[in-house]
Amino acid sequence: MGNVAGIRDLRDKIENINALPTIPSVLKRLLEVIESPRVSLNEISNFISNDPALTTKILKMVNSPVYGFPGRISSVNQAVILLGLNVVKGLLLGVSVFELMQKTMIGLWEHSLGCAIIARLIAEKKGLKEPEEASVDGLLHDIGKVLLILRFPDKYEKAMCDTDANGISIYEAERVHYGTTHASVGSWMAQKWRFPQKLVDVIEHHHKPHLSKSAPVESAIVHLSDILVRARGFGFAGDHALMAVSPKSWQMLGLSEADLRDVLWAFEESLEMTEDLAL
Amino acid sequence: MPKITPDKLRPGMKLLRPVTNKGGMVLLGEGTELTAALIEKIRDMGADSIFIQGTSPPSTPKEEALSGLDRRFKSVEEKPYMDVIKKALREHIKDLYG
Ligand SMILES: [Fe+2]
Ligand SMILES: [Fe+2]
Repeated sequence: MGNVAGIRDLRDKIENINALPTIPSVLKRLLEVIESPRVSLNEISNFISNDPALTTKILKMVNSPVYGFPGRISSVNQAVILLGLNVVKGLLLGVSVFELMQKTMIGLWEHSLGCAIIARLIAEKKGLKEPEEASVDGLLHDIGKVLLILRFPDKYEKAMCDTDANGISIYEAERVHYGTTHASVGSWMAQKWRFPQKLVDVIEHHHKPHLSKSAPVESAIVHLSDILVRARGFGFAGDHALMAVSPKSWQMLGLSEADLRDVLWAFEESLEMTEDLAL
Repeated sequence: MPKITPDKLRPGMKLLRPVTNKGGMVLLGEGTELTAALIEKIRDMGADSIFIQGTSPPSTPKEEALSGLDRRFKSVEEKPYMDVIKKALREHIKDLYG
């Protein structure tokens, strides 16, 4: 693989993941809702409200330190109004999809949750207007891994074995086995699911944030969050290799050692309050 | 994890959950920053545990946590700015152990 036709074929297979028999029917319906072109706030909120387990999960998340409204949101309607359609869509996808991951890549949920928290904290430190959007960026940045595992579980297992054996990152191992990476795969689907261009861009570039055109700051934030969560030893994202920070993105964020320590400390405090977010 | 006995309270800690009396009435709200005087009051109340924000020491030994950090940074240590990131993490991990 690696050639154009190979990539096209891979993309087709990923984009039609909904047809796989291994996808639970609840998730199928959810993906249909997310994908529909004119989905309204009302439809999303009805979809969630009709499922008590999903409602509980969503309310737990929006009231957690992952987002900026601790303990203040009491209904799905209120969450949708406060956070907006795209944030809730992202959240809905996050809590539903990572559940499928518990066997193959234990720790990817924690990794994603950790990135969501740190991304929000950095966004707040940098004075970004919508820090909760950074949370969604962090939560979904590695969604491509979930898709690759769902679609090609055996191949992914091999890629994961290669990381330790050859001392490479999962990103590099994916390139060997698929001719592309979870970053591109995730961005294809984010596009198909009609997420905002900025989120698509962040997912595509979170390992090469200096290449991002429409969201360089957001991509840099998620890139650094990913490194910090790994460096802290929290969660698991498919390998044990730490990747170096992109110098350009690091300079763009302009954070000092003291800033990092502030962020890390706030992260620990958030974690304490996040204990019951296990899926 | 965030639950500690009153003798371990120190000024500057913040409450993760409200402190209530036996009747359930809130005496100190969530987020209250503790002072020496407040700590004395809490001890006088005879409460057996208090929820505070921030971490109590992790379960892995400190040496192990720090050598894990070294291991993770081994292949990227020389790359630009990774020394700053590693230093922040090292200090941070030490902070976790108080
Ligand atoms: Fe990634
Ligand atoms: Fe990641």
